[in-house]
Amino acid sequence: MERIITRFVMALRERGVRISPGETIDAVHALALIGVGERESVRALLRLTLVKNVNDIPAFEEVFHRFFSSSQLGGMGLDTADILNAMIHIVEGEQLKAEKHRTKEKDEPLLAVDEEFTDEDLENLVGLEESEEDAAGADIMVQLDGFRGRMDKAEPSDYQMKSPPTVSFARNLGAGMQLSFKPEEIADMQEVVYRMLVRIRKDVQRMKEMESRGKLHVIRTIQKNYRHGMVPFLLSLRRKRKEKPRLVVFCDVSFSVSYATRFMLLMLHTLQNRVMDVRSFVFNREIVEITGMLRNMPVNSLLETIDRGDIINLDDNSDYGNTFRAFKEKHLENMRGKPAIIIMGDARNNYNEAEEWALEEIREKAGYMLWLTPEERDLWKRGDCLIDLYGSYCDRVEVVRDVEGLSRIVEDLFYTLYDHQDTRAWKGNRRKAEAEEAGEEWNYYKLPKAAASPNVTQESPSSAVWRERYGTYYRKR
Amino acid sequence: MITEEKVKELLRCGGYIADEAIATAVFLALQMDKPILIEGPPGVGKTALAKTLSSVLDFPLVRLQCYDGIDEGKALYDWEYGKQLLYTQLLRTQLDSYLSVSADLREAVERLSAEESLFFSLNFLVQRPILRSFMSDKKSLLLIDEIDRSGDEFEALLLECLSDFQVSIPELGVIEARQKPLVVLTSNGTRMISDALRRRCLFLYIGYPDLDREVAIVCARFPDICETLAEQMVHFLRKARELNLRKPPSLSETIDWAHVLSILRAERLTPEVVANTVGAIAKHQADLKQVNELASQVLPE
Repeated sequence: MERIITRFVMALRERGVRISPGETIDAVHALALIGVGERESVRALLRLTLVKNVNDIPAFEEVFHRFFSSSQLGGMGLDTADILNAMIHIVEGEQLKAEKHRTKEKDEPLLAVDEEFTDEDLENLVGLEESEEDAAGADIMVQLDGFRGRMDKAEPSDYQMKSPPTVSFARNLGAGMQLSFKPEEIADMQEVVYRMLVRIRKDVQRMKEMESRGKLHVIRTIQKNYRHGMVPFLLSLRRKRKEKPRLVVFCDVSFSVSYATRFMLLMLHTLQNRVMDVRSFVFNREIVEITGMLRNMPVNSLLETIDRGDIINLDDNSDYGNTFRAFKEKHLENMRGKPAIIIMGDARNNYNEAEEWALEEIREKAGYMLWLTPEERDLWKRGDCLIDLYGSYCDRVEVVRDVEGLSRIVEDLFYTLYDHQDTRAWKGNRRKAEAEEAGEEWNYYKLPKAAASPNVTQESPSSAVWRERYGTYYRKR
Repeated sequence: MITEEKVKELLRCGGYIADEAIATAVFLALQMDKPILIEGPPGVGKTALAKTLSSVLDFPLVRLQCYDGIDEGKALYDWEYGKQLLYTQLLRTQLDSYLSVSADLREAVERLSAEESLFFSLNFLVQRPILRSFMSDKKSLLLIDEIDRSGDEFEALLLECLSDFQVSIPELGVIEARQKPLVVLTSNGTRMISDALRRRCLFLYIGYPDLDREVAIVCARFPDICETLAEQMVHFLRKARELNLRKPPSLSETIDWAHVLSILRAERLTPEVVANTVGAIAKHQADLKQVNELASQVLPE
């Protein structure tokens, strides 16, 4: 029986469901308790013990159906004695392993099944239900399914975690029509964001410790220690409380940048409400707020909704000028505080009005403005790209190529926002330590700026004069 | 020996109509001493399952409502500083006489430190829900409600409790559960729960019930509602769930609505009845309108 479960688990892992050996043991254990009975109860049982995530349920159902309706086990020896022997062997091995963790009486049911296991049960187990199709044909179908799409690229298999997970924007441009994600992409992304969050959280903790070096707040301390008879066990200090940084994000969802945008959206989805207060908008010609949807919907169904054009019409070409004006008219007034604004897009305006005055007004209300573009610098001056114009209103313009880069930039932004006088000293140390730790990665992060510097030096003299007069390099058109 | 069928039957007695997956989960949780993590949309009976279980199995319910910022002082245990202080004050005179026999300061300190554990004993320990359920002599049901509202730190704190059923208190050592409680965790899925915690639990997803089960639930709860009305209601609500409402009506709304209709002694559904009772199903201004429109479309006058 263990073999069957193990094979089943392997099949699930191949579909991208993460299952640990501990869960496999649980499944076997549970199967021993309930016994191999009806198909339905076995299904419920395996689902309870193996699947730990709602999103994995469809994959499970599919694999279960495939696995237990085609009698894949034909190749194995069907001799009851053999299987029982193998089973006892494995169960004993497991008992040895499990003994440390489980109490004695827990082992009994595991043994009990060996005695009760009859030929009939075995029949049940092997072909939980007879498949209507020709069994051999089904088998081949299954194998074909397994091979499909694997020929074109050599990749580590799905159930081995890639370390470190890197997901590139450049890849797979052909599939850019679809915004929705493959499960492994989501997993990788969550991994990247999770690591970023852990880093940030550690530092926030440190910052909070720094903050606690304040003056004593006498009244609050007394109130807090009322139940301790006014003996100050818990101190309360006067400190300036930093609010969660506010962030407003615009994502271009038009076709040209959709692949990068989907990562941005996924990142926002993961970030939402964890360390920042984020408001998100998508646009191409119109602009629509999706903050609520990001919060309440699973990311894939949100992206599918966008794909279907339910939120904004995807057939429109992006019109940045119109977008900025619309934002200024509809949303600028109820923007609270001085949020940081991130704009994700290639600034290809399709020769519409630039309306940069709207962006300038938005800039006045923002604490910080960052433009992210998936396009390389070399391409900026070609065609309808307005990034030089729009970039002049931004504090920073960055090229993002992959998720790592994106998460770096967001992390960097976070520190900029959370900046605190006390924290500057250790921030430098942290950077240094991280650079040593990460080695190459750090250099890579600096590369885009270094690569850009020749560009600046090659300016024509007239533009240098221009720059002197107007102060910014970006206004040059 | 308890079986799955028996679990189902027991739950039915408590007014909870369980499906196969729920019954299996409860049965396995009881047999394997594993916590159940229940996920699902709000109002499908996650917490109700725990409450019903506690009443039908006669396990005292210990409930821990999670919120942002919950910590071990609120969930596991706390020291009763006030009482400790009071005792020190009261015992001061006793201490004088107790220590006066000692020859020098060194001996006095030794004598005192020998008694130190007195102040860090169970006497001064406030038991918070998790510890309380571990310490109870009767097997209890520990409901950790809406775990997704708590922070990551709290999740990490739960790991030890849920896998080994023990609580480590630095001053006292490890306290093991006298009776391993049946643990039920619920989550609305607003935040991803870490894999480490998921791994320690049986994962049960409760979605909206299927048609037959929902009708059965209504009939079981409100015997005076006839089956045709129940079916009509359920059909209507299932359509309403597809409407893309801001707050889709859940099972708890079905039950509320059935309650309302049974009080009003409605015989069958008409657009008018829906319009009068729409507050029980739709919880947003915009939703009200959509539900009413649906009623005028699908229901006979």
